[in-house]
Amino acid sequence: MSDSRMNNLVEAILEGDCAESVSQVEHLYQSGVSSEHIVIRGIETAMTALDAKCTLEQFNLLEIMLAGRAVTEVMKVLYPAGTAPMSTKGTVVIATLEGDVHDLGKNILKMVLIGKGYHVVDCGKDCSLQKLMDVTEKERPLAIGVSGLITPIIPLVRQVKEQLLLRKLDSIKVVAGGAALKQSSSDHLNVDFVAESAFDILHYLDGRTGEK
Amino acid sequence: MNSLERIAATIKFQDADRVPVIAQVFGHAASLAGVPVDDYVRDGKTLAQCQLNALTQYGYDAVFSVMDVSVETEAVGSTLQYRKNQYPVIERYALSLEDDWDALSVPDPQQAGRMPEMLEALAILRRELGNKVLVVGCVVGPFTLTTQLLGMETALYLAVDDPPRLEHLMDFATEVIIRFGLAQLQSGAHLPIVFNPSASPAVIPPKFFREFELPRLRQVFQAFTEAGAVANWLHIAGPVGRILPYYPAAGVDIANFDYYVSAKEARNELPATCLDGNIKSVAFVEGSPNDIEAEAMNLLRGFRDQGGFILSSGCEIPPESRPENVAALVNAARVG
Repeated sequence: MSDSRMNNLVEAILEGDCAESVSQVEHLYQSGVSSEHIVIRGIETAMTALDAKCTLEQFNLLEIMLAGRAVTEVMKVLYPAGTAPMSTKGTVVIATLEGDVHDLGKNILKMVLIGKGYHVVDCGKDCSLQKLMDVTEKERPLAIGVSGLITPIIPLVRQVKEQLLLRKLDSIKVVAGGAALKQSSSDHLNVDFVAESAFDILHYLDGRTGEK
Repeated sequence: MNSLERIAATIKFQDADRVPVIAQVFGHAASLAGVPVDDYVRDGKTLAQCQLNALTQYGYDAVFSVMDVSVETEAVGSTLQYRKNQYPVIERYALSLEDDWDALSVPDPQQAGRMPEMLEALAILRRELGNKVLVVGCVVGPFTLTTQLLGMETALYLAVDDPPRLEHLMDFATEVIIRFGLAQLQSGAHLPIVFNPSASPAVIPPKFFREFELPRLRQVFQAFTEAGAVANWLHIAGPVGRILPYYPAAGVDIANFDYYVSAKEARNELPATCLDGNIKSVAFVEGSPNDIEAEAMNLLRGFRDQGGFILSSGCEIPPESRPENVAALVNAARVG
């Protein structure tokens, strides 16, 4: 359900206008609109609009990063340090695996998932399989997202599900993306889903959680 | 016809004895010789020898003095991390937003970082191959170097927050590239390919490409042409369909296209420019010789009546690729 009070915020986020986004949120806050409502009706609406705009032909990082930066600033206002945002859809653990330090794609995924109400635990770049599994065991997420720009990390990606099985965590889904990984297939990578973009992963997760 | 004559004819859409085949073999040449990639990218003699060995083994039409995309940024002052058998990665960027960029000076290719090693590799390759095989050097594009000097995210945000400052840095990057490219031509390169991954429409909108990058690419290619480059070759991966129409205005003679763009779309957008592409890089690692042959034959059939086509991969053939797959690519051009 749309909420016309959010129109200015949605527009400011889509334009990547940080200052205006924050100003709109402060205004909504002062009018008595709750943080949860701003997230669901404002930020998520903006991310849905961005999703619709970012087809394969129209997708570019710059636009998404600008919107993501605005969302990040807005979230700081809604949830100042120490007040954790509520998680409405579950947890996703993300990592750029050991041997790869190109983590821009992972960071974009983080912005998109946070903007759509997921709790994201970021294991960073150059992340060992051991660390990824330890964090996964602790967090028990819906899914693990791994990104890779370069082909040499493919053998490591193929081990993720095997490691989950060893720890009896094999119900957790594994999704992969990034310039190198998306040229491959889910069979070859031994993952559940290979995404073309961050929004593909969002759709996959929404499908698992019953979100539309 | 030798390789260089074959490529020269193809660029002009003239008849050649067969379609040229250029496998984008960089670090794969090191893997083939059992040399760690991190040694390969730091030693010009090693690089040249590995390239010559790979040429002997595969028999394609061009060799590359390509180390990685961090040569220029390292020369300006970025710190790289070299890991065993991998391409280096940037550990610390040369510049930050707090720095005074007016104090920047263009590095001397004879002295700075690994630039002299790359020049030495080019000199060896040209000495050994003369004008029989295309000897290709490499520079990165202006926006790519800008993102390598500052960090991708910082550079992209600067493009919106302070466009004049970004343009100032892009102008500096352009000077670095031109000076390095001219030194490569003097050392023996027939041309320096311009690698420009950050200028892909996957990263920046086409409007940004047209307004910020295109004029600087034009400067780069004009300088290379005036210095005797046999052609200008632009390599941008990803969904480049919407920026291909700008390539002729930049002075591009050979346009690389990746698997994202079909051969038909690339030709429609660039009817009078030589194209090279577009087999998936990962197919050389995961696929079989039959897969590569089928893809290659499909491309050769598509371009048969048009000319102006060089059979190639869409991007780098990864170091760990199966040699029989590279051989299948070359063989397809020979029998196709």
